Amino acid sequence: MSTAPIAATPPEQLQSVVFDATLEGRIRELLSRYPTTRAALLPVLWLCQERYGWISPGVVRAVAERLGESPATVDGVVTFYTMFYTSPPARYVLQVCETLSCAVCGGAELLHHLEKRLGVKAGEKTADGLFQIVGVQCLGACGSAPVVQVNDDYYENLTLERLDALLDELAGRS
Amino acid sequence: MPKVTIDGREVEVAPGTNLIEAARAAGVDVPYFCYHPHLSIVGQCRICMVEIVGQPRLAIACATPATDGMVVKSDSSERVKEARNAVMEFLLANHPLDCPVCDQAGECLLQDHSLSDGTDLTHMVETRRTFPGYERRLIGPHVVQNQNRCIHCSRCIRFTQEISETAALTYKSRGNRAFIATHDGRPFDDPFSACAADVCPVGALTVREFRFRKRAWRLRSTPSVCPGCSIGCNLWLDHHERVAYRFTPRENPGINATWLCDHGRFLAEHANHQHVLHPQRRSGGQGSRVGWAEALRALALELKAVRTLRVVASANLTNESLFLARELFVRQFKAEMVVPAHVGEARRIKNARGEWLHSVDAHPNSTGARRLGLTVVDAEGLARFLYGAADLTLILDTAAHPFLASDEALQLLRVGPTAACGRVDHPLNHVAGWLLPTPSLASEEGTFTSSTGAVQRVEPAWAPAGEARPSWSVLALLARESGLSAFDLPGPAHVFSLISSREKAFAGLEWEKLGGLTATSFRERQHVG
Amino acid sequence: MEPVLLRARGVPDSRAVDTYLSAGGYQGLRKALLLGPDAVTKEVLDSDLRGRGGAGFPTGRKWTFVPKDHPGPRYLICNADESEPGTFKDREIIEHDPHMVLEGIAIASYAIRANTAYIYIRGEFVRWARILEQAIAEARARGFLGPDVLGSGYGLDIWVHRGAGAYICGEETALIESIEGKRGFPRLKPPFPAVVGVFGKPTVVNNVETLACVPHIIERGAAWFASIGRPKNTGPKLFCVSGHVRRPGVVELPLGVTFREIIEEHCGGIRDGHTLKAFFPGGSSAPVMTAAEVDVRADFDACAEAGTMLGSGGVIVLDDSVDMVGAAANLAHFYAHESCGQCTPCREGSDWCMDILDRILDGRGRAEDPETLLRICRFASQGMTICPLGDAFALPISSIVKKFHEELESAIRRAAPRPQSKLPVLPWNGPRPGFGA
Repeated sequence: MSTAPIAATPPEQLQSVVFDATLEGRIRELLSRYPTTRAALLPVLWLCQERYGWISPGVVRAVAERLGESPATVDGVVTFYTMFYTSPPARYVLQVCETLSCAVCGGAELLHHLEKRLGVKAGEKTADGLFQIVGVQCLGACGSAPVVQVNDDYYENLTLERLDALLDELAGRS
Repeated sequence: MPKVTIDGREVEVAPGTNLIEAARAAGVDVPYFCYHPHLSIVGQCRICMVEIVGQPRLAIACATPATDGMVVKSDSSERVKEARNAVMEFLLANHPLDCPVCDQAGECLLQDHSLSDGTDLTHMVETRRTFPGYERRLIGPHVVQNQNRCIHCSRCIRFTQEISETAALTYKSRGNRAFIATHDGRPFDDPFSACAADVCPVGALTVREFRFRKRAWRLRSTPSVCPGCSIGCNLWLDHHERVAYRFTPRENPGINATWLCDHGRFLAEHANHQHVLHPQRRSGGQGSRVGWAEALRALALELKAVRTLRVVASANLTNESLFLARELFVRQFKAEMVVPAHVGEARRIKNARGEWLHSVDAHPNSTGARRLGLTVVDAEGLARFLYGAADLTLILDTAAHPFLASDEALQLLRVGPTAACGRVDHPLNHVAGWLLPTPSLASEEGTFTSSTGAVQRVEPAWAPAGEARPSWSVLALLARESGLSAFDLPGPAHVFSLISSREKAFAGLEWEKLGGLTATSFRERQHVG
Repeated sequence: MEPVLLRARGVPDSRAVDTYLSAGGYQGLRKALLLGPDAVTKEVLDSDLRGRGGAGFPTGRKWTFVPKDHPGPRYLICNADESEPGTFKDREIIEHDPHMVLEGIAIASYAIRANTAYIYIRGEFVRWARILEQAIAEARARGFLGPDVLGSGYGLDIWVHRGAGAYICGEETALIESIEGKRGFPRLKPPFPAVVGVFGKPTVVNNVETLACVPHIIERGAAWFASIGRPKNTGPKLFCVSGHVRRPGVVELPLGVTFREIIEEHCGGIRDGHTLKAFFPGGSSAPVMTAAEVDVRADFDACAEAGTMLGSGGVIVLDDSVDMVGAAANLAHFYAHESCGQCTPCREGSDWCMDILDRILDGRGRAEDPETLLRICRFASQGMTICPLGDAFALPISSIVKKFHEELESAIRRAAPRPQSKLPVLPWNGPRPGFGA
């Protein structure tokens, strides 16, 4: 398993966003799945996050325009959900589950270890933009606690050693 | 029609009426924050809990339709009291309780319900949640946000989604961390932005222009009609000691529901302007103060003496003034008379059925003028009218049309003797031989006919400043001086009864019933007199 | 018992449609198309299948609420939002047997005459969303989905719709709002989704595990299904066991086994050197149970009788090393983070509980705290909120306050903050209060 890094488009390139033909084609396909335009909002935001790495205000405006909603409405949706990045994320976002089952099975230690090893606190990025630690709520993998989600991938039954090895591997590949 | 009993009072309501409105009709106040009669029902604040006899759980009155035979307990239920106490405690848990420095104080639903439905103790000892940087933020041209005070009722958001249709406001984030925001910090640019502050039950959104100018409980409210365009939105003129502080919407389901556009709302300040304070006579380039008696007597003599008289009336005048002007000048002195109307910017308002009403011009009574059979003209028509020669030109309102302030108009009017009524500084003031002070809407009494066809009353808030006299009274006195005792009437109500007996368009209307207010009219700021 | 829902676990290449077919897959769908929608619904009614998502509502009954004469489209939604702490069963089914879910969706959609179904899957489950999409493509290619399912003339499209990180979207009306592209705010009920659901049309929302039961019920009959478990608590159930057991994971057992059996026989018991202290029987939203209550039967009615609930079947096992005040604080953080913020009692109450419990852990407890916690919980639950999230935080916290009263009292009496390492609770992360998003 090899987790793909996130390549976040720099903010200055996302102030005014125009969807290219590929993206537009995929949006049209998504729209065909629903009887209303607005229902495609979450899928279109996902598409944009895949493409640009995060949802900038410029992306919000482009999505709003495309779906016929106000930018504020799209903002409201983007910020209701925790998985849309509203600022450029690091290449690897380490999402440490904090909820009960993980917490009693060593999740806290994982988080403290990450903070110590990377020298940043939860919520922050390392200076090289490689890693970002985020404390998250239940990831739905409690039977294999403790769990860390790195970008899209789950890493389960983690120990400090396995976590170190994972970080080494991710850092080495980048 | 379902009959329900609320706290022992039986009431019959229209099918589909919710329990808040049914209670209101029964004379029982059910508290609410998120409910608003002209917004969608979301059932979020949970303060409107009532007990429905036979149901195990309390119900929210806003989302419960009254059904026949329902027995409801509001204040008479201990369970309801307990639940409302708890909700009040929750709402105040993170509220800053900064009432002394909050401009909403005195007209705050949180304050009101704290008294009626809260307790005098709290179990809350934690550090209050705050929104640093969002305590005093101008989010648009007219609206100031203090997010710390927000109780998450979502009325403002629903207003921009459902009524103004800009969807310019949203919640960002969620849960207790959610806050009201525009997109990316952009200005809250909405032609109805101040309504978002109106519907805010607390001091989270306040109107910049009104903030800290007057404590709400000092204000007196006088029912009036917006002078900003032809639609005729109903409003309260909120004033204190002869100063107008603001216009707030007055419910009229057929016209403006409970809304006002920012343009109309902020005309309130204009009601305070009175530059012309006493009658003046101008000769040889010099103005001199004269008494009303002298001015009216002289004018009456001139009216009789001149061969050609032309009158520029105004679509800003009441039906009563226009009627008197017509009787006096057109019928009696055979004058030529026009009512100029300036189209102005397009305005619109949404009524309670969700339909947009559009303005036809920028005056409150052009429709009344037409219905009285008067000739309504545009700028071109007015220019043509003024080109004709006349022995005397009467301008009944210097603000009747922007054209009157143009160089072209002034040149035309310099040709012959002119008499003008007005209140603010105006180029015509330096041209007219006679200048008579008339007051603002705040001191006028009478009726306007809205472009939707409704005849609506405005009431005077205070007596005119200086020696200004309401237009109808100037005209009535002029009629007396001219020997026309039939039109020397003691008040606009008498003029109106004459109109309704003579004019088809007004047949059957009764002055007393034109107020537009009913016992069940929605009014949130109940304390205002 | 023989595995039903987990029969593919351990089978090589179990996700492939051919593997599924060779295990008798899609026979239920064939049979359903011959039976007709009403007979399918009747079979499910007779099986006494109850919803596996948490509420335990009879599935067949839910289907019958869809108005028969409704002219327009109707929808079926498969709820794969799986976010209840302690719950990870749907992921297990999708991981090993995605076609079982699709077949269940197809049969349920047919029963309610829906031609479009959505699978709402939590945003974090990227891998399992892809597995489902792949399975849908396979099923379509083989004619199990599409405009003419197995030549019957009945058409069905299934789309995967990803959430984006919100526990509340597991609540069916919040889920519906989320599909519609909105914030996940639960709706006022009535109207119920079966009458006015997604896009304003009649909609049935069923959990993954519920739908996975359906092909078996149709294929093997209601009587067979009802023979498993106990009366009105029928069928196999997936129990997700996490926490301090030797062998955590998903186990499939008939409804009605005791929690002792689940923990001791099927999960290897409590880890060495420790004893059972407490457990949440059905996800973290269920009232906590003490070690003394471990012989309660794991079914809907027995749990209700014992003052708790079976919920999603997420059994969180806590041994004697756990500080119950810390556990309560941990859950309070979760619910405060996940409250949508609509209703006053839940929005303010969850946050308030969190603050109180954090303060106690910080060594600044006050004598009146237990009473305040109970008051908050009382007025945030039992109909005080639009959706059950108010109850969801109130029940575990109030049950901890009541059942572990002495532990709470002694935590309150403690003057100094305890060392961080002993706490199972992590500090609140991100800019508190999550502001500036």
